[in-house]
Amino acid sequence: MSDFTRVASTSDLPDPGTMLVELEDRIVVLVHVDGQYYCLDDVCTHDGGPLADGSLEGCELICPRHGARFDVKTGEPLSMPATEATGVHEVRVDGEELFVRIVET
Amino acid sequence: MIESTKQAGFTGAEFDQFLGSRDEPDWLLRRRREAWDRFEQLPWPSRRDEEWIRTDIRLFKLDRFSLPLGSEFPGEPGDALLSEGVELAGQSVSLNSQCSHRVLSESLESQGVLFGSISQLVQDHDELVRELLSRCQSHSESDRFTALNDACWSGGHLLYVPRGVAIEEPIHLHSVLSDGGVDLAQTMIVLEEGASATVLAEMNSQGEGEAGLHCGSLEMMLGAGANLRYVNLQNWSDATWHFARHNARLGQDASLQWTSAAMGSRLSKVNQHVMLDGKGANCQVNGVLFTEGKQHLSYHTLQHHTAPGCRSDFLYKSALQDRSRTVWRGMIKVDPAGQQTDGYQRNDNLLLSDQARADSIPGLEIEADDVRCTHGSTTSQVDEELIFYANCRGLARGEAVRLIVSGFFQQIFDRITVPSVRDALAEAIARRVREFE
Repeated sequence: MSDFTRVASTSDLPDPGTMLVELEDRIVVLVHVDGQYYCLDDVCTHDGGPLADGSLEGCELICPRHGARFDVKTGEPLSMPATEATGVHEVRVDGEELFVRIVET
Repeated sequence: MIESTKQAGFTGAEFDQFLGSRDEPDWLLRRRREAWDRFEQLPWPSRRDEEWIRTDIRLFKLDRFSLPLGSEFPGEPGDALLSEGVELAGQSVSLNSQCSHRVLSESLESQGVLFGSISQLVQDHDELVRELLSRCQSHSESDRFTALNDACWSGGHLLYVPRGVAIEEPIHLHSVLSDGGVDLAQTMIVLEEGASATVLAEMNSQGEGEAGLHCGSLEMMLGAGANLRYVNLQNWSDATWHFARHNARLGQDASLQWTSAAMGSRLSKVNQHVMLDGKGANCQVNGVLFTEGKQHLSYHTLQHHTAPGCRSDFLYKSALQDRSRTVWRGMIKVDPAGQQTDGYQRNDNLLLSDQARADSIPGLEIEADDVRCTHGSTTSQVDEELIFYANCRGLARGEAVRLIVSGFFQQIFDRITVPSVRDALAEAIARRVREFE
């Protein structure tokens, strides 16, 4: 398993808000909602397109193209047309710094 | 270890230095500068573009690579698969965009066949090369990669076969990348009226470490009644970015059999366009894609019928392992003049893992009213009943899977008329098929 890598400061990401991060040869979305931070692959499992431009409704990230919804905590799909979970990664807050560890599945 | 003279980034200053290192006529340098201007004006393709929506290039950073500078490269290309045991009429090798080796049989030289890198041939055949480049299908407005290749091409191969000349033995084109190397090849194959040839082209890497870049183009132009068998094996390392535009234009009654196999690269985006431009032209395309790991191969094909009575037949087969992905988007386009067109396209995908993904998008755009154009697509996993059947006859699961994958590609192999190519592709695929859970 990879180590945690610093990706941003807490002040970089409003609540609620999302942020795109390049990490270990992949692109992930950092999500800040209700004081908690989450990290997902920037991939809608419906068509493989990016999620980061989508809107955030509570803990649901909505794909901008076809409206598939994903739970930012688990990556699980909550509505069609997505039927598979997108990848989620570990986030650690250390003071005012945000760290992410990529979880390979 | 291969090293080449490099300067960081694809900047304007580096481009000027690149032009300064080329011993080329003014018209060619002007052509390059115009393309560079287009390159600087165009944006990178975005995922909002339909053609790129499934292909993510955000992690591709051009400034991590450098333009090939310096003189002809004297390195060794390493082993080639397609030419193994084959008697060749000629061979051209380039390493990191630099031509390193070129041979052609004396009898073909005496018949007027030209063969080698464009950079070399333009020195002695300025007018002809200029005319050939002007005949290329221009796609510079298409996207930034095309403009980049138009401006910065280096290395690659040119085969020019005069009217009526038949080349019996195959010609071999070999392009090699070292770790972190750049290949900006522009390749042209021109068969004048009634000429014929077989060309075996392959690309491979000497290392598996640093990311490499291929941004290339291929132009094939077949005159009336010409006959070309072209085989391409893309076998770069899995760290290589591959962007290519392949065009063919067929004159009256010309015939092209095009076999395209792709197994390497981290990400490939290939546009393959065939224009059937003369009455009665005939084109058969056989595509083999085999992916593993996190590879992403995206092929966009166009069968463009602009003349009546032409036939095109595209068959692409993909097998995918691990978390790899393929995108195949095909189009048969028939202009109003393309009456009595017979067009077919098919894409079959075999998923060898639950996490592999194949997107298949065939399409038709027909403007003539007397045509036969059909298409089909299938995507499936290995049939467990077939594996059970093989197990019952003493085969282990891995052996059964290898047999089934070989059988899946057999339809393509049966269409390939060059025996050495059939064997080389079968061997390359067999090496890659692994047991899976």
